[in-house]
Amino acid sequence: MDLFIRYILIGIGNGAVYAALALALVLIYRTTGLLNLAQGEMALFSAYLSWWFTTHGVPIGLAIAFSILLSMIGGAVIERVLIRPVTAPGKSHLNVLIVMLGMFLAINAISQLLFSTDAEPMPKPWPSVSSPGDPVGRSARLLDIGNTSISWAVGALALTLIGLCLFLYLLLQKTKLGLALRAVASNPASARMVGINTSAMLMVGWALAAGIGALAGSMVAADRGSVSPGLMTVVLVYAFAAAALGGFDSPVGAVVGGMIVAIAESLTIGYVDALSTIELVVPFALILLVLLVRPTGLFGRRVVERV
Amino acid sequence: MNRSRWRGPLALFAVAMLLMSSCSSRGDDSSDDGGDGGDGGNGDVESSIDIDDCETDPTAEIEGDTIKLVSSYPQSELVGAFAEIARGWAAYFDKVNEEGGVEIAGKSYQIEFEDKDDVYNPQQTASNIEELVGADGSNAFAVFSVVGTANNINVRDFLGELCVPNLFAATGSVAWGNPDYPWLLGSTLAPYTLEAQAFADYLKENQPEAKVAMLVQNDEFGATYEQGFRQAIEGTDIEVVAVEEYPSGADEVSTQVASLAASDADAFFNGATLLACPDALTSKQDEGWEPTTWVSATCISKTLMILAGAAGDGALSFTNLKDPLNPAYADDPAMVAFKETVEQYRTDFKGRALDLENAIILYGYVQAEIFVQALEAAEAPTRLAVMESVHNIDGFTSDLAIDGVSFTTSGGDDPFLGESLRLVQYDAAAGHFSEIGELQDWEGETLSLTPEDLVNA
Repeated sequence: MDLFIRYILIGIGNGAVYAALALALVLIYRTTGLLNLAQGEMALFSAYLSWWFTTHGVPIGLAIAFSILLSMIGGAVIERVLIRPVTAPGKSHLNVLIVMLGMFLAINAISQLLFSTDAEPMPKPWPSVSSPGDPVGRSARLLDIGNTSISWAVGALALTLIGLCLFLYLLLQKTKLGLALRAVASNPASARMVGINTSAMLMVGWALAAGIGALAGSMVAADRGSVSPGLMTVVLVYAFAAAALGGFDSPVGAVVGGMIVAIAESLTIGYVDALSTIELVVPFALILLVLLVRPTGLFGRRVVERV
Repeated sequence: MNRSRWRGPLALFAVAMLLMSSCSSRGDDSSDDGGDGGDGGNGDVESSIDIDDCETDPTAEIEGDTIKLVSSYPQSELVGAFAEIARGWAAYFDKVNEEGGVEIAGKSYQIEFEDKDDVYNPQQTASNIEELVGADGSNAFAVFSVVGTANNINVRDFLGELCVPNLFAATGSVAWGNPDYPWLLGSTLAPYTLEAQAFADYLKENQPEAKVAMLVQNDEFGATYEQGFRQAIEGTDIEVVAVEEYPSGADEVSTQVASLAASDADAFFNGATLLACPDALTSKQDEGWEPTTWVSATCISKTLMILAGAAGDGALSFTNLKDPLNPAYADDPAMVAFKETVEQYRTDFKGRALDLENAIILYGYVQAEIFVQALEAAEAPTRLAVMESVHNIDGFTSDLAIDGVSFTTSGGDDPFLGESLRLVQYDAAAGHFSEIGELQDWEGETLSLTPEDLVNA
């Protein structure tokens, strides 16, 4: 039983990260109808940026905040400079796909060039215990349930996700900006007609996604204890799985999907020896199953077109 | 908006990622095809190399006065850290050249070398080596210090058929004992089975009823650890109570370690390498699990152990070379000379910053030292003579090796150099491993300690 709880906790920690990155994917998908293949590498760049600030004496919390801010600017610039020119109406989606694949490779290479090709120790933005010979310290214990202790790492990751969800809910449901974003996502043509600046909204969508990615990337690096060039590759695959499972246009779906995928992953490694080391199969089997029954994902909206 | 349009590319992407991960995790298995059973244990110690089928003449003498060596190893991305090995051997060859070169059968030769980046990709290694050596083997005398097990396996057929020596392969695979490939020789890195043997020996003495949990990579590297360890504990009261595998390339193994911790094992063989190694140690600490711990010798690295930090404290491993991080060697004359030589000749190397405390520079340096000794002991400046010389190294030493360590080979019966070692233990507060216990000597025993199918992989 204790072990089962440990697996669930590990799943929740990873799930928070998959969910956060999936949220970034969903935000871009909702406003632009695009799946951002480079989302993971953008987050990697941001994580390195956070690390770089810490090496210049900035406390980790502030470093992540700076990184989120700069990443949002970067996201908006990417939308305007790289994505916009290839997404004009009438152009094939394949053009964007190729641009994104290019970004996937280029941003990883640039991260290595600018920052480091090595695994660099990443400080933790939550309480940690340090000891001699330990540059970043270990996550402190948050609370004990029976024989199982929950570390601050899992707590902080889960809290971050909850905070992120709250922020997005308030932004999308309670602000004018959110209304405009939703309007563009729902019906770009009509939104434009009622005077919403759709092109600005697209930039805002990318900026938000890049900011969320920065948060996810920095948190996963802090959890793993280091940031390295391969950090986000696997995380991105799981985030895709999470978004596909939950429905590409549903933030709630992304969160639920992230948790399901991560807990399934952890339980598979723990209990199903036959699938050990190919545990990626499980989330994809789940997706296949869900897409067969509900092609729009668990929480996705069905699009009805009038003819 | 048409959602289904995206499902195709997404599926393709997902499949590509899966393929990538399965390819990388199965890289080593591809060698199964090349083994041909390979049970012909050719017993003759002297001149054990059959040259009848050679596509080039291995008895041809070097023309001119340079020996051309070529190599392929990772020089970019995360794996680019392995390039530091080459900084070490390049510095030593530079020094030898400046001091007049290497003398074979009364004539002096300069050592020239050329290398290419393979980003640790075995396919890239193969095309690099084919280009550097030439289809007829005429562009280079020998291949030196190719990094990676799968990478060396990918070139051993090509080089074996040409009869071009592939020397000091930079991994501890036991496959370098395969008698089908007499033109391939490993380096001073200890064969992986000896690690398993060393940990078993340590437990026999200190924890004779140990329950052992093992974390291993799901390939031949991990299988060598696991099978080697099981063989080493036969007939003892030590028991393997849990084994978890992780896919090669994974850097997050907390679930595997949680499962191992739940087995109540009181000893832990951490066979993980690269980032999975420190992650296993920190996960172990997170679980509150405190077993006697062995870490893979591939994890003895400043970068990796720093990531483990205090979680690595007390971890055991072994080595045969002096550790530049260890302050005990700060004033050691050989260590001082080594650092001066590297600084003098190779402060600049592939645009990488020089860190003289990085142990793999020293490792590369020692390989060059031993190779030069073997070249000078060769009877003639031919590939065959050099190959016979490296196959009959009799107790070479290096001042950079730990006291008492020597390097010996004996034809096909004992092609392994690194068989005498000392245990080391990590001191997290000091940030380095320190030697403990007596010198362990398994000279000539690796083949008998290793399951045969692993050697003939």
